[in-house]
Formats: sequence, C-alpha cells, structure tokens
Amino acid sequence: MARVVSRSLAWREAVAGYLFIVPWIVGFIVFTFGPMMASLYFSFTEYDIISAPKWVGLANYMRAFGGVGAYLQTGDMRQLKDPVFWKSLQVTLYFAALSLPLNLLCSFCLAVLLNQKIFGLRIWRTIYFLPSIISGVAVTLLWLRILNPRMGILNPFLHDVLGIANPPGWLQDPDWAVPALVLMGLWGVGGSMIIYLAGLQGISTELYDAAHVDGANRWQTFWSVTFPMMTPVLFYNLVLGLIGTFQYFTEVYVATGGAGGPQRATMFYNLYLYQNAFKYFDMGYASTMAWILFVIVLCLTTLIFRSSDAWVYYEGQLRGK
Amino acid sequence: MNASWWRKTVLLLVVSLLFASCSMPGKPAAPAEKAKVVIFVGFGTGTDPDQVSAQEALAKKFNGSHDNITVEFMIAPHDQATEKFLTMVAGDNAPQLVGPLGISTVAQFFDQWEDVTPYIAKDGYDMSDFYGPSVTLNKYPTLNAGLPLGLYPSFVFYNKDAFDAAGIPYPTHDFNDKNWDINAMQTIATQLTIDANGNNATSPKFDAANIKQWGYGDTYTDFRGQMTMFGAPSKGRPASNDYKTAQVNSAEWKYGAKWLHTGVHKLHFMPDAAGQSAISSSSGDPFGGGHVAIWYSHTWYMSEGLNGLPFKFDIAPLFFNQKGERIARIHADLFTIPKTAKNKDAAWEVMKWLVAPEQIMDVCAVYGCLPARKSVEELFKAKLKERYPTIDHAVIFKSIDYLDDPNHESYVPEWSKVNDTLNNTLTTIYTDPTLDTDAALDTANSDVQTIFNDYWAKHP
Repeated sequence: MARVVSRSLAWREAVAGYLFIVPWIVGFIVFTFGPMMASLYFSFTEYDIISAPKWVGLANYMRAFGGVGAYLQTGDMRQLKDPVFWKSLQVTLYFAALSLPLNLLCSFCLAVLLNQKIFGLRIWRTIYFLPSIISGVAVTLLWLRILNPRMGILNPFLHDVLGIANPPGWLQDPDWAVPALVLMGLWGVGGSMIIYLAGLQGISTELYDAAHVDGANRWQTFWSVTFPMMTPVLFYNLVLGLIGTFQYFTEVYVATGGAGGPQRATMFYNLYLYQNAFKYFDMGYASTMAWILFVIVLCLTTLIFRSSDAWVYYEGQLRGK
Repeated sequence: MNASWWRKTVLLLVVSLLFASCSMPGKPAAPAEKAKVVIFVGFGTGTDPDQVSAQEALAKKFNGSHDNITVEFMIAPHDQATEKFLTMVAGDNAPQLVGPLGISTVAQFFDQWEDVTPYIAKDGYDMSDFYGPSVTLNKYPTLNAGLPLGLYPSFVFYNKDAFDAAGIPYPTHDFNDKNWDINAMQTIATQLTIDANGNNATSPKFDAANIKQWGYGDTYTDFRGQMTMFGAPSKGRPASNDYKTAQVNSAEWKYGAKWLHTGVHKLHFMPDAAGQSAISSSSGDPFGGGHVAIWYSHTWYMSEGLNGLPFKFDIAPLFFNQKGERIARIHADLFTIPKTAKNKDAAWEVMKWLVAPEQIMDVCAVYGCLPARKSVEELFKAKLKERYPTIDHAVIFKSIDYLDDPNHESYVPEWSKVNDTLNNTLTTIYTDPTLDTDAALDTANSDVQTIFNDYWAKHP
C-alpha cells in the first residue's frame, strides 16, 4: 500500500513538473524545432516564398559545393559554382580568427587589471562595461564616423600623434575592412570582462595563500593558480564567442548598407544568407546555407568540447576524467 | 427544469425568430457589401507622417464619392515592405493595389503583377493624355504593369554661389547648345573642386586628401544609373533584347567606367568612397550640404534637397556625352495590381481614379512626382513656380525628351543579383585607385552572363 501511495505521489509530481514545462515545450516545438525542420525541408527545395516549394534534391547543396575540385586544381575561384558562398565563408573565418582570440585576450586582461586593488575601481569597471550595453546599430554608426578616413578622429591620431604616414582607409579599403570590424567589436568586450571578473573573484584565496607560502612570484601565481581556475570561464566565453562570430550580422549590415562591400570584403556568411533569403527570395538556398552553417558551428564546437579535457580545469576533477 | 419547460423555451425562441425575420416589411434590404481595395504603400515614397495623413484624405475623398468600393491605405515601413507584401501574397491576402512603385520595384517582382492591357481594352481607356514615355516605361517584356502616375526626369542642379566664387559662367539652359558636353562639364567641375586651403583641383598645391567641395556628383544612383548617360546600344540595360546575353562590357560602359575612375582618383572632381562616406556622415546631402557644386539627380531630389538652402541654385540640362548624345535618366511611378489579389475590377477602378485628371495633381503632390498627364502640365508648372520660384522649370519638362530607353531600372532576369554584381564593380571603382576598369567590366560581364545562364536553364 505504501509503495502504491509513493508511486502515485511521484507520478503526480512528474505530471505537475511536465505541466509546468508544457508552455516551454510547446514554444520550443512551434517556434524553434518546427521552423528548423521546415528549413531542413526547404533546403532540398526551390522556394521563393510565394510559390509552393519545389523538391530539387541535393541541387542547393551542389550549388554551394560545386566546382570545388576544379578550383583546387586550378586555384581559380571562378570555377566554383557559387564563388560568393566561399568568399563569405572565407571572410567569416578570417574575422573569427582575428576577432575571437583578440576579444578573449582583451576581456581577460581587462578583468585581471580590474581585479586589482586600484583607486576608483568601481568607476573603472563601470566605464569598461558601459559600452557593451549600447546596441549594435548605435555603436556601428558611431564607429563609422570614428573610422572615416576623411573626417574620422582615428586617422588624424594615427597620422599626427603616431606618425603613420598613410593610415588605413578602414571600411573603404578591402584589405582593412575586416580588421576595422574587429576593432569595432572590441568596443563590446565589457560583457565578457564581467564574466571573467566574476570568475576571478570566485577563486579561493586559500589557493593564493598556499602559492604565497610556497614562494611563488606573481607570474607563477597567475600561471599556476589564476589561469587554470579561469579555464572553465575561458571555455564558456570561447564557445559563446565562436557561435556569436558565426552569427555576425547587424554591424556589417549597418556599416555596408547590406552590400558586403567594398569589393565583397565584408560579405559575411550571414549577410550572404540574408541576401539570398530576403533580397533574392531564394529561401531554398538560404535554408541550405543555414544548415551548412549549423554543421560547421557544430563541428567546431564539438572540437572545442573534445579539446577541453586537455586544457579546462574543473575544481575537484581529475584531468581527463 | 423538466422537458416540458425546455420544449416551451425552444418554441418561444423559434416563434420570436420568425417574428423578427418577418418584421419591418417596408424597410429595404441591407446594402450589398462594398468591395474593399487595400492600397499597399511602403516600397517607395509615401510613408512619412504628412504623406500618411494626405493619403488618408485621398481615401476619404474616394470613399465619400463611391458607394460600391472602399479604399484603405496600408502603410508598411520601408524596410519591412518587401517581407510584409510577400507574406500577404503567400497568405492569399494580397493587397488590391501596390504603389507608388518605381520601375525597379516593378521589375524585381515582375511575375507578381496583373497585366492591365485587357482592362484598358475593355474600357477603351484613353491613354493619349499621358506623356508617351510614361506609357513606354510601364511596359515590361510580357505585360503592362499599370497606368502611369508620375515621372521624375533628371537634370543637373548647380550651386550658383560656387560658380560665382570661382568666376565661372553658369551652365547653359539651351538644350541645343552642343558646347555643354562631358568635357566642358569636367573642366568646370575640376575648377569647382576645392580643398581645405581654398586651392582648386587644377592647382599644384591642391590637397586631394582634404577636399571640402567636389565639382560633380552623381552618387544617388547605382552602376546602371551612372553608366546610362554614355549611350550604350541598350542604354541602361545590361542585357540584350532577349535578356539572354550580358552587355556590361560595351565600349560605352567601359568608357564610362574609366571616366568615373579617372574623375574620382586622378582628377578628384568626384568624391571617392571615403568622401561619400564623409558626406553621408555630416549633412547626408551632397548638394544641399554644399559638398558638391554640380549635382546630377531627379525631380524627387527637389522635395528633399532644395528646402532652405543657404546658397543660390538653379537647374540645367544634363551635358552631352562623349558621343554627342544626351541621355538623361528618368524614373517613373505607378500603382500595380497583384495577380493574386481579390476584387481586381474594383482595384482597376481605383487605379483609374488615382490617375484621373481631377486627382493626379493631388496624388502627385503627396508623392512629389511630375504628373504623367499632359493636360495638367500648365497647372503643375504654376505649382512649381509657387514652390520653387527661382529655378528654370522648362528644364524639367524638356528633359523628358532625352530619357533612357531601355531604362536603367528596367527588367532583367534576376534583377537584384545582377544589380548586386554591378554595384560590387561600382564600389571597386570608387575604392581602388589602381583598378583596370576594362578588366573589371569584363569580369562583371562574365558574372552577369553566369546569372543569366542559370536563370534561363531554370526557365527555358
């Protein structure tokens, strides 16, 4: 009898639990999973929104990857079936390679600096955090002025103060457009900085005391205590940063008017996806691009997770376990 | 409550309903439902608050004079108009009229519009009062998209103060004066290009990195728009008559691209990409902000760019090109009926009403266009004189005779992709001082040909 009552209670609790999460599950199925499945279907179709989708099998995937063999043989990008697809991938990877490490490094260094006992600490923290709460569009418009080669304030500084004879054309120069966007991105490091700061303040002082007793200098303390203890936070920011980098869109859309110029130097993957979806109304191909992006991000995230055993330290956990 | 009670209640209800249906025998039956015509606005002009209220007044005027049709304007923010319109079409809820649309928007959604030719034939609608070009421009490969509403001819605006300061005579207003050609304009524009120290672009002391005023600008249009004036066989269209062969690298367009590149990077009388960005970041208006002395644009620029300027200005004909021809771009507006719309007959009635001689002045006043009807020309001239008393209005009307046909916004397959490809070439011209423009146009031609080939493979 006692078992029946117990089971009934557990069942009732389970039912109550499921009832509580039903709104989320319904929301997930209707607004996330459903559209995802729909886009997977559309990726095998020719679909212009207005007409019914027409099944085309792997044609969209062939369009994205077609001509790779000929390109590898000749080195001529025009052999590719869709050279802009590859250009957008290249631009995005280039941006990720520049932006991700720089953002991680800058936000981490800032957090370490703002974790010191210095005068006006809270004011400094506020100053560095504030920019990260301003929206992407406003920041981009501000940076467009700062970076303008004719009337911006950055180039006169580079020229007059640092003595650089020919400062870059930034967003007007195909070679400097992506670095300019990376520079703009540094404006928002305050968000990651706060997470690092929370992590730094969570490190037990006993560990520092022990290191001090063992005679460790500041560098040894940082390298053997602070850094290992911060690796879970680094790992978290790395994964989120990677996903964010591949979703980069607003800033470049505003900065280039959605064109990805100059000379397609800022044709990011998501921008090209957007163009296909909402400018050319090629929803089938845009869906294909979305799924290819999903697979790329999934692979890279899996790699990071796999590698985490080697460099992420969780307190109380043995390496590799 | 027993069954008998229910039976009585139901009986009472039925009897009262019968009485209700038989009562008031002398009263007329309810009027038939009015056909609703939703006019979708948002692709072009028409979304400013004062325009919204003016459109509501138009709807009120129509609804007050028609018993069988109700008009309602639906205003969509410009950046959401495409998605909203397509969603409505996909949901089988297409608006009855869409507009005002430019040639480019009609071309982009070419497959969506109803051909109004049968309506014109059925009503024996008199098209003779419209300016010829406005009718021609509305005709696409397989359809007539709508009745002409307005035209936007183009000409050059010039800053008289800048000319006076440089001691240069104003451009001629005589359309037959062959001396006003591209070389004459270039010479004047170079003299009108001034750096921060007051040196003009012909001076050895000229500082190209600190230009305060450029001589000439035509940056409110795209690559097709900028190349049209050079007189290629297909004018502003980068395709052959059958739309199957790319024609980007014609001798005329190659000349135009080289002229543009030289003017931007060597002679400096036109702003490069950084200069354009600087103008955009400061006042945003190249001519009204005093950044450009000779500005090539359309009548639509007048309503947004000629208000309260701190300098004297006037307008003049576009200069003759390198071949001795004058090809002045033109824009045109109209309302279209989506193919899948309901109440299409009612939509046709509203379209006719909007462009009727009694309304077209009011409608064009809302959208800032030149009415496409010849019969209201004098009335419109009077309005122009009232609003812009100092400019030569004859230039506006005479410029229509030099329009670009095929138009620089006209239909080509995969319009947006082709335009993006060409505009990528344009940004390259503006950003790369070492560019080989001939090679760039050859590449663009090859890219556009690939787009056409893909299109025709899918649409044999």
